Order: sequence, then C-alpha cells, then structure tokens
Amino acid sequence: MKASLSSSYPSAPVMQILTRLYAWINNLDWDILLSSLILIFITSIAIFAPLISPNDPHDFIGKPLEPPSSAHLLGTNDAGQDILSELIYGTRISLSVAIGAALGTMLLSLIIGGLSGYFGGWLDRILMRFTDVMLTLPRLPLLILLASFLDAGLWQTILIIALLFWQGKARLIRAQVQSLRQRGYIKMARSYGASSLYIFQRHILPQIAPLIVFGLVAAAGQAVAMEAGLAFLGLGDATAKSWGLMMRFALNLPGLLLTERWLWWLLPPALSVTVLMLAITFLGIGLERIWNPRLEQHD
Amino acid sequence: MRPSKINPKRVSYTLSLLASYLLTIWIVLTLNFLIPRLLPGDPLSALLDSESSNYVFDPQIRQALETYYGLDQPLITQYGQYLLDALRGDLGASIQFNQPVIRLIQSHLPWTLLLTLTAMFAATLFALIAGSEAGWKRATRTDRLLTTSSIILANTPVYFLGMILVIIFGAKLDWLPLAGGRTAFAHYDSFIAMISDIGKHLILPAFTLSASIAGVSFLLIRNNMIMVIKEDFMLVARSKGIPEQRLKWNHALRNAILPFIAHMAAHAGMAITGAVFIETLFNYPGMGRLIFDAVGSRDYPVIQGVFLIVALIVVSANLLADLINARIDPRIREPLT
Repeated sequence: MKASLSSSYPSAPVMQILTRLYAWINNLDWDILLSSLILIFITSIAIFAPLISPNDPHDFIGKPLEPPSSAHLLGTNDAGQDILSELIYGTRISLSVAIGAALGTMLLSLIIGGLSGYFGGWLDRILMRFTDVMLTLPRLPLLILLASFLDAGLWQTILIIALLFWQGKARLIRAQVQSLRQRGYIKMARSYGASSLYIFQRHILPQIAPLIVFGLVAAAGQAVAMEAGLAFLGLGDATAKSWGLMMRFALNLPGLLLTERWLWWLLPPALSVTVLMLAITFLGIGLERIWNPRLEQHD
Repeated sequence: MRPSKINPKRVSYTLSLLASYLLTIWIVLTLNFLIPRLLPGDPLSALLDSESSNYVFDPQIRQALETYYGLDQPLITQYGQYLLDALRGDLGASIQFNQPVIRLIQSHLPWTLLLTLTAMFAATLFALIAGSEAGWKRATRTDRLLTTSSIILANTPVYFLGMILVIIFGAKLDWLPLAGGRTAFAHYDSFIAMISDIGKHLILPAFTLSASIAGVSFLLIRNNMIMVIKEDFMLVARSKGIPEQRLKWNHALRNAILPFIAHMAAHAGMAITGAVFIETLFNYPGMGRLIFDAVGSRDYPVIQGVFLIVALIVVSANLLADLINARIDPRIREPLT
C-alpha cells in the first residue's frame, strides 16, 4: 500500500514525505503506541525512582502492616517498610533483568545460530543437537536448580535466564542465516575473498536485524516473567526490592487473603508484573506486523 | 485392516529418535550430577550450608559425612556411583523430611499428574472448539475477541490469574477451598465423599492452569485452521457441496490438529512450569509445592530429585509426541490401500 501511494507522486520529495507521514499515521499501530507509552512510563519511574519514591524502600518507617494512609499510600509491609516505595524501586530490578537477560539471550542465540547456519557441516550438527536437547529440558525446574545452587543475585539471575532462553531464537537465526548464505551476492562476496566476519557484519547482520529485535523483545518479556517467578518462589537475593519478592513476603503472611491486605500489598506488584509483560508482548506483536507484513495474512 | 508391513524407513526413524532421547536423558543425568559440583560450594557444603540449621561444626563429623557421601573419591568414581544409584531409583535422602527423595516424589507426583492432566485436557478441549470456530470465521468480532483475550491469557503470569480467582471464588464468595489438595485430617465416610472433596480442591488450581495453557493452544489451532482453509482440498470439498459443518469439523479441523499434536509435548513443559507456581500459590501437595518447600529450606537432594523426575517426564512426553506424529502424519505414513 505504501509503495502505490508514493509512486503516484514520484517527483515531489515533499509530497513523498507527506504521503509517507500520512501512511504512517494511517497505519499507526495502537499496540505499539500503547505499549510504548506504558514502557516509557515504567522506565521513567525506574530512572527517577529516588526522586518520586516517598521513602527509601529499605527504611523501617512505620509500624508493620499499616493500612493505606495519606503518609503511606499503599500502607506498610510486615517489616514496616513503605510498600509504594518498594513498588517504585521494583521497576529497576524488573527492567535491569529484562534488558540484561534479553541482550545475553540474543548474544548467545546470535553466536550459536550464526555459527551453525553459516558454517554448516559437523559444527551445525553438534550445535543443533545441543540446541534440541536444551529445548526439550523443562526450563523452570532447571532454572530453580541453577538458581538454588548459585544463591542468585541480580547478575546471576540475568546469567541463568540468558543461559536457558536462547534455544528457540538460535534456531530461527540459524534458518535465516542458512538461507542467506545461499544467495548469489553472498556467494560472490565470498568468491572475491571476503572474510566470514566481514560477510557476517556487512551482509548477514542487517538482514537478520528484525529477527534480532523480535528476539530481544520476546526475551525481555520472558525474563521479566522468570525473574518475578524465581523471586515468587523465594529464590534470589532476599534483600532486593523486587516485585516477585514483594508477592512472596505478602503470601508468607498467614491468612493474607482473608483480610483486605492483599489489595494493597499483593495486588500492586502482581499487576505491575502483568502490565509490564503485556506491554512487552504487544510491542512485539506490533513490531512483527510492521516488519513482517507476510505474517499479517495469517493473523 | 491389513497387517502393516515393517517399513525400514520408519524403523530407522524410530531408532534415531530413541537414540536422541537416550542422549537427552544422559545429558539430564550428567547436568544433575555436575551442577552442584561445578557451581560455587561442593555438594557437602551445600548439604551442610553454614546458613542452614543443619550446619555441622565438628570437622570430624564433616569428614565422616564426606566419606559417607563418597566425596573423597575421584570424580569419575562418584559419577559411576551416581548413575548406578539413579538407575536403581536411589536419589538420596531429603535433609528436611529425613526420608528418601524417591518416596517423597512418589507421594507428590500423583497430585501434579492429576492437576496437569486435568488442566491440559480442559485446555485442549476448549482450544479445539474455540480455535476452529475462530479460525473458520476469521476476522469476525468473535475471532478478534477470542484472539486478543488468548494473547492476554497466554502472557499473564499464571500466579496473577490464580490470585484473582482464589480471591474471588475462595476468599470473597467462599465457594471453593482456598488451598490444599484435600481437607486436612478429613475422615471420609465414603469413596464418593473423598472424590468430591479432592475434586472441590482441584477446581480452582486446574482452572487457572488450563486457562493459561488454553491461550497458547487456542492461538495454535486457530492459525492452523486458517492455513488449512486455504488448501486446495478444501476448495474441492466445498465445490462437491459438502455441508458447512462437516467441512469444518471433518475436513478442516482434522488437518489442523496434526501440527497441534507436536506442540502437546511443549505443553507438558509449560504445564509443569505453571504447576510449580500454582501449587505454590494454592498450597497444592504436588511436585511444585515439594520443590518450593525444598528451595525454602535449601534441601538440595529434593531439588535435584524433582528436577530429574520432571525432566524425565517432559522428555518422555516429547518422545511420545514425536512417535505419535510420525505415525499419523500422512507424509510419513505409507499409503493405505
């Protein structure tokens, strides 16, 4: 559609820009718009946490288990810490793990999928067999096993999530690289003596960039879920102020659900994890629609 | 039916499938052996964590424990012993409960199987009906509604879903029990009373789990359906004047199910992941609750044992799905005459 619009005004560059702008607004994706707004909102909270947070989340500022009041909008937890401040600082942990683990995951899948697809042969067979085995293993139990032996802090959490979520993405990258490698211009570049690294950077990387971006978004969503999930199960740094741990401590209180406390203690972190995950998911769906219009036919 | 001839192609396919699964199982066993030994802290210091209540100060007793667990042996001897023990079903002893890990697993596994199988059955049933309906009438309002809510369901943390349900139906309305697999210390007058008690406790956790699986299954069936509708044979069947309902259920859905079966194994892994969170949330006495309790008290033999058994189950489910798929996929099956 874009092509037909711009070809009707081929000579005027201004018109071309305007029609593009029009097409852009016309195609404006509500998935992308809404999810970006939510993500920008959460990111700014994370960056400016010390400024907007009413208290230091580690400070014992009140009596334990206070209900919401004007001083503490979401009340206090079992240790007398301000729940709203915990919630605000929790964005930092979720976002750091999302970004760190997404980068780690994509780096791993790029290396394994890239090597496998580009060089083929025995290297491909070994790497893909390994990938298949890792795909079969149940992730969460393995994650729990690793996390419990590592006594995971933030970096360890990022590392083990990255170690367990690259497989599917590596397979996608391998398939793409494998088909690109057969293209004429890459064969030609190789015959002119271009090094593998050069071909990879110059010709392959730009072609698989959309795949990498989809992968980053998907991995970020999985990482948020897994980080919160591990903390929910009581794994990870017990002093960190993460959403998962807030839920854990809230649920540790006997009879939590029988009073109104869940409303300001359990629900806000659970809702935050869910909103962040959904925002990332819908960003991914929107991006895929833009860059991969063929998919839309099935959608 | 004619007795099927042995197809050499299929035999070799099955054999290579079996070989690759044996390899996976061996890797699972080896990982389980190596992880405690490679990560910081040897298994003994893990067993006797200075932070845990079981910490032993006396170096002589620690020495004795080390000999008992065979840690003074070379690694390869330990590995051999570990493999032999694992094959005999000896997974060590729980520190917290002071009984063999395998016995703990035996008492928790049935609950997890009950929960996951019920949930998977319900989710599959829903996905088959709603997915084929939505795919058949694609881009209608029903389809959009179902698809969007499935995407949201599939990406909502399962414990969030569970929390909402337990707060509404357990705490507020008081229709269903808040937690547990059965009423504690209950004496049942009849078999029926026991079944209904267990069933009542099962509804909320199973519904939560099936809702989270149903999202993914629905999307799969729907997309398969959309692909199948475009195939030539559908056009032929339609032009023959086959009624709409038969066309949908007999022609389209049958073919849309094929790729779905391969995904059923992936669902087993997903169901296990969901079950860990749900059993923790609902205090349901299955494997997930067991591993959660073990994590809380750093009961490493139990964590390892649960990992091993769950991995074996998921790997077997994958093998089963591959075998079924090879059997029913017409591209692998010999033409029937």
